[in-house]
Amino acid sequence: MTIRVLIFGALAREMSCKELVVDVCAPATVRDVNASLAAKFPPKACFFQSARLAVNHAFATLYEPVQTTDEVALIELVGGG
Amino acid sequence: MSVLVHISPGPLSSERLLASHSASAAHAVGATVVFEGIVRASEQGRTIRALSYEAYEPMATNSLTQLANDILSKHALIAITVEHSRGEVATGQRSFRLAIDSAHRKEALAAMDEFIDRMKRDVPIWKTAIYI
Repeated sequence: MTIRVLIFGALAREMSCKELVVDVCAPATVRDVNASLAAKFPPKACFFQSARLAVNHAFATLYEPVQTTDEVALIELVGGG
Repeated sequence: MSVLVHISPGPLSSERLLASHSASAAHAVGATVVFEGIVRASEQGRTIRALSYEAYEPMATNSLTQLANDILSKHALIAITVEHSRGEVATGQRSFRLAIDSAHRKEALAAMDEFIDRMKRDVPIWKTAIYI
């Protein structure tokens, strides 16, 4: 199944897009999404492997299930204030 | 105890928003600590014109509200008001304001530091320098 991952800030500028799309096997967890991102973008594999993901506007654990209808976002390198 | 979180476009006004208090809570306030973040004219040694803030809403609002409630309980505060900009904020203008009401100064000052540290770590807001 396909998962769309929203990205922001410096990462979005570096990747020249606002979302990344990965395929994972159902049933999938956040950890699977991290692994798929790492596999799809080898130069940034280390970053994606451990990047914090939010599912439906809340930080998710590695073992939280993910569905295609979920809103998944990568929340790293924040810096408000 | 009350929390007010507001993310708005552009610079913050000089007038701060006020969290609503009950009459009894208002009488209990003995200290109000206000921090304002102002856009500096330089970033990493280079002159900038503005900072551009990007917020992932509604997660940013939810995260700020959750953080404020957590800090409020932990430090036994009376009220927290958080204001943050999104979009472009020119140098010299306010982009962030945190106001904490408490019975005594000590808990308000401790809460201020903790709030800002945790916000910079966990709240999905990003800033980008716009250089001249």
